Amino acid sequence: MGRLGRILRQSVMAVRAFKLRTLFCVVSVALGISSITIIVAATEGAFKKAFDMVALFGPDALLVVSGSDEARAIGKREKTLTLEDVQAVKEAFPGAYVVAPSTSMGDVTVAYRDKKYQSLVVGSTSDFSRAWTWPVVEGSDFTDADIRGLRNVAILGSHVVEELFAKEDPVGKYLFVKGIPVQVVGVLSDRGTTPTGQNLDNRLIMPISTVMRKMQNERKYISVFRVRFVDQKKLSRYEEEVRLLLRQRHQLPEGVPDDFRIISPKEIIKFLAALTGSLVVFLGIVGVISLVVAGFVLANLFLLSVKERSKEIGIRRSVGARRNDIRLQFLGEAVTLTTIGGLIGFVSAIGGSRLLTLIADFPIHFSWKAFAVGLLLSWFVGIAFGLQPASRAANLEPIEAIRT
Amino acid sequence: MSLCVLENVKKRYLIGEEEVEVLKGINLQVEQGEFIAIMGPSGSGKTTLMNILGCLDVPSSGSYVIAGKEVTQLNDDELSVLRNEHIGFVFQNFYLLSYATVLENVLLPTLYMERSRDGFTRKRAKEILGLVGLSDRAKFKPNQLSGGQQQRVAIARALINDPDLILADEPTGQLDSKTASEIMDLLSKMNQRGKTVVVITHDANTAAYARRTVRILDGLIVD
Ligand SMILES: Nc1ncnc2c1ncn2[C@@H]1O[C@H](COP(=O)(O)OP(=O)(O)OP(=O)(O)O)[C@@H](O)[C@H]1O
Ligand SMILES: [Mg+2]
Repeated sequence: MGRLGRILRQSVMAVRAFKLRTLFCVVSVALGISSITIIVAATEGAFKKAFDMVALFGPDALLVVSGSDEARAIGKREKTLTLEDVQAVKEAFPGAYVVAPSTSMGDVTVAYRDKKYQSLVVGSTSDFSRAWTWPVVEGSDFTDADIRGLRNVAILGSHVVEELFAKEDPVGKYLFVKGIPVQVVGVLSDRGTTPTGQNLDNRLIMPISTVMRKMQNERKYISVFRVRFVDQKKLSRYEEEVRLLLRQRHQLPEGVPDDFRIISPKEIIKFLAALTGSLVVFLGIVGVISLVVAGFVLANLFLLSVKERSKEIGIRRSVGARRNDIRLQFLGEAVTLTTIGGLIGFVSAIGGSRLLTLIADFPIHFSWKAFAVGLLLSWFVGIAFGLQPASRAANLEPIEAIRT
Repeated sequence: MSLCVLENVKKRYLIGEEEVEVLKGINLQVEQGEFIAIMGPSGSGKTTLMNILGCLDVPSSGSYVIAGKEVTQLNDDELSVLRNEHIGFVFQNFYLLSYATVLENVLLPTLYMERSRDGFTRKRAKEILGLVGLSDRAKFKPNQLSGGQQQRVAIARALINDPDLILADEPTGQLDSKTASEIMDLLSKMNQRGKTVVVITHDANTAAYARRTVRILDGLIVD
């Protein structure tokens, strides 16, 4: 072992010997590092979640929703978008490879034999699967003939299948939707829940024409429509153009707010950032404060330790330790302590975040990044706050040190 | 060639505003292989002289040459290396590291060697522990040993780097007379094996082991 290694081993020996000092330093560093680790993990989790959500939503997609923001705020569901609007967008944007209208009805009773299920019925065109990148895993998607012919056919969300068909193959079976017999033609893949906790697999898709005419007695208005563009980079510009086109079509004078809302991937990220932001700020403040406190605890305990151990320093100097050897030893002690604190902090961060996710559904993602940030910070604290005491130890004159 | 040559060495300390001259012009030669006792009343400057001999401190003026090197020309690191390679200290209060084992204490000087071969130094440490009669105490902590045993550990530590000069400041000061004579026997044995030994003491019985006695009074060597 080289000289460096031999001296660092002395550091480890001292860390083991001065147990009370070790305990206080480790605990205070662990507290700081664990909250900072959680922040890093939460930020990463939020990013990952945002990424997942954008991927789910479609990074190249816009969703245009009927109704003004005010109406939505008071829970009113007014329908302002029309099938003609959809047609107009389709014609105005050759760069859009999907323009798919859809309309929906909540809490519709769906029955198969003696079983009943409250489902969300979504009317869509034959583009549904493509519009949402949501594959039909059994049976098939609608055909244009289904739409044009107002046929009574349905594609089921996976949860609907689970609830109504125990082990049977649903494809080809008939069920009753609002009392109307409807034949199942396909089943959608699992989609899970949205970040806001909404089950996405509880829906039943039918041709939009069937839903509008036969169930809603509606010929014109729809709930939402999706647009997907070939060139994802121009999405912001497209968004603005769609907005202007719809305002013009709805004859909204300047100053009047939109009577629709366009949801884009950017907006999803904003929403998530707001959700995560406050907790990150809170933990950030806690983390930085506790790390600084840990640093001062360390520095003070080390200054005390240097005083108490001046004889040891004198002995080491008398057998040939140079100033730098003493400095290295004490710095090594500090960094060893903060490293242990950092590791314990990381482990307790994992535990703490479990608790956090129990209280609130909060995206937390641990990776080597969170680990590395914690470790680097603990080293930083060790060096930054250990350097002064270590230098004080190194600068003791040998005879002064040994006389005390 | 002399191991140590002191010429007109003075040492002054600043106590508050006042400068006190503790060594007032010491001239002393220590030959290779000598066994010297330095005697003198309390406060006469014995420990100060030993610190200078051992390169823990440097003269305020005058010249001190050890192993061919002028100490006043050396920087702190060079003094440290000099202590490490040429000097072994034995103190009145033993000064062992309480949290280290006997073996680890003996190995302490080897940590700071430029080049050290672990296997070799451990083997050597065990040999030296045998020499001081503590082979079976290698794993003990200092507080599990008697005063005499602790001082043997200190002597073993002083020997590990094979120094030219062993400096002992009141090595028997904390020990009863029987243990004291054992320790002095041990130092004599080391001297017979070729080590230069300088012992500082009040005690005539201790001084009797040496072949030369140097008396110091009020910062000056007398007769
Ligand atoms: N670092 C220092 N600063 C100030 N004064 C000092 C210092 N070291 C020693 N002295 C003074 O120098 C004088 C001689 O001290 P020294 O320790 O050398 O005496 P000594 O002969 O070893 O005495 P003793 O037999 O009691 O150990 C004393 O008056 C002491 O107070
Ligand atoms: Mg003294």
